[in-house]
Amino acid sequence: MSVIVCGQKRAEHPFYLEELGINIYSCQELCYVVYHHPLLFMDGIMDQSLVDFIRNEFNMGFVAARLEQRMKSGEKQEDILLFFMQECNYYTTAELNKLRQTLMSFKKLSVFEYAKKKADYLAQFKQYGRAIAGYEEILEERDGRADDQFVSRVLNNLGACYARVFQFRKAMDAYDKAYEKRKDMSILERMYHLTLMDGGLALKDRYQPMVSGELMEKWKREFDQIQEAAKGSPEVEQIRVLFEKDSVRRMEGAAKLVEEWKQEYRGMA
Amino acid sequence: MGEGDLQSADTEKKGKLMDGLILGLDLCDAYTQLVCDQGERSWTLPTVICRKKEEESWMVGEPAYASALAGDGVMVDKLVKLVIKDGTSTIGGIRYGGAQLLTQFLIQVVALAKKEYNTDQIKQLVFSVPRIHTRLLECLRGCGEYLGAAREDIHIMSHTESFMYYVLSQKREVWNNQVGMFDLSGEGLCYFEMKVQRGLRQTTVMAEKERLEEGFSLDILSSPAGRKMADRILCSCGNRMMQKKLFSSVFLMGKGFEERDWAEGFMKLVCSRRRVYVETELFARGAAYRAVDFLRDKSAYPYVCICEGRLDSSVSMKVLYKDQDNQLMLANAGVSWYEASKEVELILDGQDYLEFMITPPDQRKKKTVKMELEGFPKRGEKTLRILVQIGFLDERTMTVTVTDQGFGELFPSTGAVLRQEVMI
Repeated sequence: MSVIVCGQKRAEHPFYLEELGINIYSCQELCYVVYHHPLLFMDGIMDQSLVDFIRNEFNMGFVAARLEQRMKSGEKQEDILLFFMQECNYYTTAELNKLRQTLMSFKKLSVFEYAKKKADYLAQFKQYGRAIAGYEEILEERDGRADDQFVSRVLNNLGACYARVFQFRKAMDAYDKAYEKRKDMSILERMYHLTLMDGGLALKDRYQPMVSGELMEKWKREFDQIQEAAKGSPEVEQIRVLFEKDSVRRMEGAAKLVEEWKQEYRGMA
Repeated sequence: MGEGDLQSADTEKKGKLMDGLILGLDLCDAYTQLVCDQGERSWTLPTVICRKKEEESWMVGEPAYASALAGDGVMVDKLVKLVIKDGTSTIGGIRYGGAQLLTQFLIQVVALAKKEYNTDQIKQLVFSVPRIHTRLLECLRGCGEYLGAAREDIHIMSHTESFMYYVLSQKREVWNNQVGMFDLSGEGLCYFEMKVQRGLRQTTVMAEKERLEEGFSLDILSSPAGRKMADRILCSCGNRMMQKKLFSSVFLMGKGFEERDWAEGFMKLVCSRRRVYVETELFARGAAYRAVDFLRDKSAYPYVCICEGRLDSSVSMKVLYKDQDNQLMLANAGVSWYEASKEVELILDGQDYLEFMITPPDQRKKKTVKMELEGFPKRGEKTLRILVQIGFLDERTMTVTVTDQGFGELFPSTGAVLRQEVMI
């Protein structure tokens, strides 16, 4: 238990963090997102534009100068980040040591495992476009160096990302390849669900013998249940409430919501 | 009496004074004294204002009495009380608020100095009042601005504080040991006492005021029997207040001591083994000395001054800085409570309360006061950012306002606000 004094100035002009789709107004917020999402930021967040932001908006000229010095001397990104976080007096040395260990454990992963973990993380934050690029990069560069199980997992996640951005055909293709590498019924189930979402798609003939009518019925039931549950989701409830308001407030709310969707879509694409 | 070492830089003062008046103003219900530091010029007048019945023309002091006696004006007195009570007075069909009348009064008073020194500029204005009251504070700040002083150049102090600054402005031998003062005026009889505690790191000066119940009206001094009785009363008070104490000096202040032949017994009592000074403008002069001090880059009074109108305890909070516990000072002992305000942005890590540490001069009496942040959101670790604003209602009551600031776009503010009074 402790109390921390926010000594640094808050930014008048925030720094937009594309990775999370949020604006950063204080050095504490910056430390917080790095601490909680190190995978998103450990590889290149600290660039000249961020250093300028730290200098001009937080009034941390001295720290900014030292960051520049470290960047010029070719110091590792994670060390530069940790130095900055130490200067902010937001996390204790013990907490920063813990973060350092987490960063080290990421660095110990194989290149592909690390790249997949990062792409998974992006997908978790609805950054589907960047996640897809990450998965495809792994698939291009694996060059026989990754085992089938791993490649199947990458393809499966790639399929999920394509489905999220409504590119069902590409999703089907990725699942198809994933199944080739790993015969997992859950992949077939996802392919079947895609056929329900896009009438133009169908399960390939070679999968028909593996999927009985009974199994398809079960998957259909599950799909319907999920769709039913989605009707009561907070997002749908938000729209229902919006439509109960008078026309002026409804339009205001709708404009705000569409703006949020646009923002979200920009992150996805 | 002659000025001490602190007033020796006369040239320095005069240089500063060329571009504006430096004023000390003692404001009581009975009288008002104005001291202008420039040339040691002073004015004393009764605190009364009179408006002509037929026109909105104002007079103050003796001319106000004369006009009221002549029947062509309506007089209002006890202006300080009127402000404190938020009262009004109707003259010629117009209802005037206490603050309005006091402003009119002060315009006329300060005009005396402006005329004398041929300037409209006020560089520093320090009011000295018998007792600090929030409404009076606000009113005097407003009056000061109306008179042309910048808000940051207007200060208000208690009589006790003026007494302290006056004494500290004298030669050190005057205040080596305790200093006593009897103030006998139309306002009553008060006893002031000041002592200095010299420590290794800092010197603390403490002053207190006691209003004596034995106070009497100055009218009784007009009869021989009354003078005798007044002397006896003062002797009894003197014996009670000053016995078994070592005094470097004693001051006699107020209209009651302008003539002292009636107080033979009392003068014999106070004049034994110590210096006695009679000063009839002590509060206004103390205020003027302080006004000069405000203009210095470094105060000539490097002491922790504790008296009425100033905090006798410091308020701090434990914070974490570079992995170590530190004390964040929110208010220092010895600062004027009405000028002591601070705001600080904090982040709470794993706690939903604030803890203030109150440290009086006697460190053994240190205490902590906990403030639970009820109604504040329960967020993840290190994301409850709050704005803490502190101020004081008097020497003993601190007000704390805590506002949820949110944590950027990650956790927008809930708008939660908590206001609490903390007794220190």
